[in-house]
Amino acid sequence: MHVGGLLLVLAVMSSPGEKSAGVHLAAGALAFREARYAEALVEFRVARGLGASDADPYAAATLVKLGRAEEAVEAFAPTEEGRDALLDYYRSIACYEARLYLCADRLLALVGARSGPRIAEEAAKARAAIASELTKEPPQPTIDWYLTRCGERRDAGRAALAATFCQEAVGLSERRADRYRLSEAATQLSRLTGSGRTGVAR
Amino acid sequence: MIAILASMLVATVDPCAPIEPAAVRDPGGAAAYRKVGDEERAAGSPETAAMAYRSALARDPSDAASRRALHELCREAGGAFLRGIARMDAGDLRGAIAAFREARAEAPDPSAALAQGVCHYELSEDGEARAALREAAAAPAHREAAQFYLGLVALRDGDSGEAARLLDSAAANPGFAPAASDLARLARRSGKLVFSLLAESGWDSNAQLAPGGTPISTASDGSLGATATGLFRPRGESGPYLRGTGLYRGQARFGDLDFGGVSGAAGWQVGHADRGLLGEYNYDYRLLGGSSFVSAHRLLVGGWIPAGLLTLAASYFARFESYPAALYAPFSGTLQRTEGTVALRLGRSGRLALGYHLARDGVERSELSWTEHGPGAELRVALTPRLQLGINTTVSLRDYDAVDPNLGLKRSDTYLDAVALMELDIGDRFTMRFSLDGRKAFSNDAPFDYVRIAPTLGLAYIIGM
Repeated sequence: MHVGGLLLVLAVMSSPGEKSAGVHLAAGALAFREARYAEALVEFRVARGLGASDADPYAAATLVKLGRAEEAVEAFAPTEEGRDALLDYYRSIACYEARLYLCADRLLALVGARSGPRIAEEAAKARAAIASELTKEPPQPTIDWYLTRCGERRDAGRAALAATFCQEAVGLSERRADRYRLSEAATQLSRLTGSGRTGVAR
Repeated sequence: MIAILASMLVATVDPCAPIEPAAVRDPGGAAAYRKVGDEERAAGSPETAAMAYRSALARDPSDAASRRALHELCREAGGAFLRGIARMDAGDLRGAIAAFREARAEAPDPSAALAQGVCHYELSEDGEARAALREAAAAPAHREAAQFYLGLVALRDGDSGEAARLLDSAAANPGFAPAASDLARLARRSGKLVFSLLAESGWDSNAQLAPGGTPISTASDGSLGATATGLFRPRGESGPYLRGTGLYRGQARFGDLDFGGVSGAAGWQVGHADRGLLGEYNYDYRLLGGSSFVSAHRLLVGGWIPAGLLTLAASYFARFESYPAALYAPFSGTLQRTEGTVALRLGRSGRLALGYHLARDGVERSELSWTEHGPGAELRVALTPRLQLGINTTVSLRDYDAVDPNLGLKRSDTYLDAVALMELDIGDRFTMRFSLDGRKAFSNDAPFDYVRIAPTLGLAYIIGM
C-alpha cells in the first residue's frame, strides 16, 4: 500500500467523482498504514462506491487485517493474481486463515522474492508450515469438511467462496491414493464455476 | 482459551459515542458512507457498519436512515450477548452465564449457547455445559467448537469413548485439528476403567535394595521388569476410585534382589486438574528374593488450588510399615511425609513446580529413626504433542535421632536426587519411556557415601474404556 502512489493517482483524476474517490482511497491507505483497519475498510468501500475499482483488492487486504478471512477470499476473487506481490501475500494469508491451505501455498509460491526480503521470509515460513501440514495424506474427514463448507457457502449464495472450498477438496483428494470423493468435488466445482477452476483457487 | 473464543465471537465497537459534525455538510458523501454501512451491517460486521454510519452522520446530521441504523447498532451493542462476552473477558463467568441466558431467552442464539457452555465447562458444571453445547452444535458455524468442548466434558466425565468420538469429529475442522487430535489420543488412554502395562529394562549401578542405613556392599546389575495397573473411576475424574497394581523385577545377577509385589488403593477425588481434594488408602505388599519383605498401609490426603498464574498444592501421608524378616525388622515403624508445592505454567506446554518436603521415619530403634527435609523442583515440557521431557531434582537433609552404637556416631546424611524422563507416544496407546535416575549420598560416616545411576528403557501400553 503506497500512499504516495495513491496521491499521484488522485492528482491525475479529472472528474469530481474520481477526485472524491481518490480522496477516500488515500484516506483508506493512510488509515491502513496507521492500523485503523475498520476505518480503512470503510474508506476503501466508499472509494469503490464512488468509482475507484482499484479499491477492491485494498479492501480485501483490509478484511484480512480485520480477521474476516472468508470475506477477503471473496473480495480478492475478481483481482488478477501475480499483479502485485504484496496483494498476493495478503491474499495468501486470507486463504491460509480460511484454512484453504493449497490456495495459500500456490499464492505464496507466486509471492516468492518479488516482495522484498521481509515478506519473502514470512512467505517462506508460511510455506514451510503448510508443507509440514500437507506431508501426510489428507484424512477423509478433512475432505468431508471442505465439501460440507462448499455446500454451506453455496447454499448461502456465496458461490465464489464455495468454489474455493470445493477446489481445496479437489486438491486434497488428488493427494490421496483412493481419490476420496474426487469426482463429487470436481462436479460441484464445475457447477459453481462453469469451468471446474476458479480465479481464486486455480 | 476464553479470550480467544470471545475474540472469535465478537469484535469490540462503541457505536454510541458522540459524533463530531464535519465543517461542511456533504449529503452526497454521507450517502456513500451509508451504503457502505448497510453493506457491512448485512455482512454481520457491526463495528465497520457503525463507523460508516457515524461518518455519514458527521457529513449529514439530517441523515435519518443512518441515525436509525446507528441507534439500532447502539442498542444491539448493549445487548445481553455482548454483555456476556465482556463479562467472560473480565473473568466473571457467573455474570457472563446470566447474560447469555438472557440473550437465549430472547431468541435461539447458538453463539450465546456456545459461550454459555464454555463458561459452564470452566466452572466444572458439566451437565449445564453439555446442554448448552449440544444446542450450539446444531449450528454449522459452531459445530466443531461445540464438539471440541463436549469432548472435553466427556473426557472429564470419564466417558473416553464418547470423548474420542467428539474430539475426532472436531478434528475434522483444520482449525481444531491439532488440539483435538492430541486430546482424542488422551481420551483413548483414559476413561472409567484404565489398564496399563509397562515393560522395562534397566541397569542400576547400586542395585542392593535394602532399607537406608544397612551397610551392604554395592554392586551393579541389570534388570527386566513389568508393572500392570488397573484404575476404576466409576464417576470419572471426580469421585471414588479403586486402583490395583502388580509388579515384578528380575535381576540379571543377584537373584536374592528379585523384587515383586502387589498394591491396592481406594480413594476419592473431589474436583479436577484445576482444583481438587484427594483422600486415599493404599496397601503395599512386597517380596524380596522370594521372601516377604514389607507390608505397608498408607493414608494420603492432598489438595490443589489455583492462585492467579500459580497452582498451590499440599499433601500428607502416613505409611505404617512392617518388615517381617529379622534383618529388616528394626526398620518397622511409621513414615510420614508432607510436602507443599507451587507450580507455574510455562506457556501452553510447560510446567515448573517448586516444593519443600518434611518427612519423619519413626522406627523401632532410635538410631535408625530420622527426620528429613529439603527443597525440590520439577520441570515438565512437551517439546511436541507426542514428546515430553521432565526433570525432577530433590535435596534431602536427613538427621538420625540417636548415636548408632555400631557406628559410634549419630548419622547425618544429605541426598541429591535427580530424575530425567523422556516419554514418546508412538501410537494411540503405546508410549516409549526412557528415564535416568541418579543419587549422590553424602554422610558423616564415609561408608554411607555413594553414587547411584540407573537408566531404564520401557514400553507402556495404556487403554481406557
